[in-house]
Amino acid sequence: MSATTAGISRRRVLKLGAGASAFLATAGLTAGLSGCSSSSPAMGFSVLRASDLPFLRAAIPVMLDGAMEGVSLPNAVDQTLQYLDHNLARLSPQMLKLTQQLFDVLAMAVTRGPLTGIWGRWENAEADSVRHFLERWKNSSLNLLRQGHSSLLQLVLMAWYSGAESWAHCGYPGPPKI
Amino acid sequence: MPVPDTFREGLARGWKTYDGSRLEHDLTLEADVAIIGSGAGGGTTAEILSAAGLKVLIIEEGPLKTSSDFDLLEDHAYSTLYQEGIGRMSKDGAITILQGRAVGGTTLINWTSSFRTPDQTLDHWAHEHNVKGHSPSDMAPWFDKMEQRLGVSPWIMPPNANNDVIRQGCEKLGYSWHVIPRNVRGCWNLGYCGMGCPTNAKQSMLVTTIPATLEKGGELLYLTRAERLIIDHGKVQGVECLAMDERCVAPTGRKMTVKARHTVLAGGGINSPALLMRSSAPDPHETLGKRTFLHLVAFSAGLFDKVINPFYGAPQSIYSDYFQWRDGVTGPMAYKLEVPPLQPALASTLLGDYGQKSAERMAQLPHTHMMLALLRDGFHPESVGGRVELRGDNTPVLDYQVSPYAWEGVRRALHSMAEIQFAGGAKAVMPLHQDAGYVNTASEARALIDSLSLEIFRTRLGSAHVMGGCAMGEDSSSAVVDSLGRHHQLENLSVHDGSLFPTSIGANPQLSVYGLTAQLSTALVEQLKG
Repeated sequence: MSATTAGISRRRVLKLGAGASAFLATAGLTAGLSGCSSSSPAMGFSVLRASDLPFLRAAIPVMLDGAMEGVSLPNAVDQTLQYLDHNLARLSPQMLKLTQQLFDVLAMAVTRGPLTGIWGRWENAEADSVRHFLERWKNSSLNLLRQGHSSLLQLVLMAWYSGAESWAHCGYPGPPKI
Repeated sequence: MPVPDTFREGLARGWKTYDGSRLEHDLTLEADVAIIGSGAGGGTTAEILSAAGLKVLIIEEGPLKTSSDFDLLEDHAYSTLYQEGIGRMSKDGAITILQGRAVGGTTLINWTSSFRTPDQTLDHWAHEHNVKGHSPSDMAPWFDKMEQRLGVSPWIMPPNANNDVIRQGCEKLGYSWHVIPRNVRGCWNLGYCGMGCPTNAKQSMLVTTIPATLEKGGELLYLTRAERLIIDHGKVQGVECLAMDERCVAPTGRKMTVKARHTVLAGGGINSPALLMRSSAPDPHETLGKRTFLHLVAFSAGLFDKVINPFYGAPQSIYSDYFQWRDGVTGPMAYKLEVPPLQPALASTLLGDYGQKSAERMAQLPHTHMMLALLRDGFHPESVGGRVELRGDNTPVLDYQVSPYAWEGVRRALHSMAEIQFAGGAKAVMPLHQDAGYVNTASEARALIDSLSLEIFRTRLGSAHVMGGCAMGEDSSSAVVDSLGRHHQLENLSVHDGSLFPTSIGANPQLSVYGLTAQLSTALVEQLKG
């Protein structure tokens, strides 16, 4: 890439980036004001909110597709949510806040549709649409969405592979007994 | 035979500690010296000062976890023993920053590699950063002392298969490689150094200098965040601390105030400059928090027919410095080659992707080798490092931009690693980049790496060590503290940790911190007792 093209595309990205940031900030604010995102945890969780769950329940099976050897899908999803909740409960308040803003953007119709291409509820999203959304964020020209993609993958994969339920699939015999 | 938990035995014998999360009333404590941070710098300083008869009080933000707590489970270790519950990353989210946060600091969770500061680095500091008294010959006795104290010696057992790939590949290519010195005594060769050593073999501060300090009547506050230095008339009058809840997430509302003749800041890179910022410490030349370095890390995965089991065995035992100094100290970005341990949760985030692709890669984990290149930042004018900032809640974040100079180094490092992996017997290699998969030949790898668009998020970047931000040097216009770690503007404040380094080290830095802070602490004893 020549210096000129790099300069142009960088400027374009910065411009789009600023717009998207403002959009996301507005969405976060709207979520707070409309009461769409409650700050209280859902039943059975210490941090995850009821509004976070439909997205996660739709995304986790797609992210773990092929890795759930010997574990039923509902169990794998539940386990992952429990590990995720445990990890989120120990994040610094600032990092938790950013994560919850990401979940808000994914949960609210006003941002979900335009940013993910999922126009209906997460409960009704087909696996293919979820994959399409993940690919879209992965290859987005917006750093913000690429960051979101990267965070979602890290959160979910770390949660799943922390648990012994996942170890048969990856040939990990587990830690030695001391 | 169960492993004795020597720290808990000490507590039972009456060591004096305070658990911030259980504090019921505000507290004021006095000591000769307050030491903020209990990692390599704080621990070393505490032992030397208390051995000289000074009353020492150590303040640690993280929890106290000891050998019997270390259950070798990734989620438990990462969420309790790492900064921000392992959520720490660069401001733009592109680089994960792994730092310890528990009694023992990063020494509790590092991979035990113990290198002396390279001569080239020490000479560079003297010539370019006006650092005095830390030449290779000045430092040699201090490294020697700390190597003996912490049992540092080259690893005597055979390397695990993950490390052995570096040896085999470099042998075949005629590249130099060496055995890594480790700070262990009676190591079981388990491979879980990053989750807290369950056998107390690792000579972290938890089992060495901190027990020695407590034996001498020193005191330890944990789950206690040093929030602000009380500064008046050019002196630190006290340290205001917040008691933290048992998860180390939120302050409980209780406060501690520590008053001492002298205060030593040893919170490590990012945290030490941040505390000075929160305290509005004088910073007339705006050097504070600048030039913070990370040893940016690029990774390359290799698939082998044989079993590697990269999750077992001493995590780091072989390295290559073949690419480290050959283009000069200030030439193109240079790097040290090592391997990381690969337990499943960490492996899944490194290997990347999701769904079938991720599942296929993870299914091959026992046959997977991982190499890393630790990039030596801070030596070239175009490598300026990052800048520490305070967020809205006064906690720190590092703004670190990856320069074109660094990206060029990343690309060369990916080439070097793929070459060594194939020479070492890999049947396929994958540079860790979103647009790359495994390729089967060295020439395919070369073409692939040349074609990759290197940018944040697409390239899976890590960081190995946080260094700088409170740089030492004789010139107060470019350094925060002098060559003895004494603050240029505040007379009873010293900095004793990795934030002192004017550049990155070019090697895993724990022994650099031990040697330097042992030297500085011995000088501080003279000053305080003189």
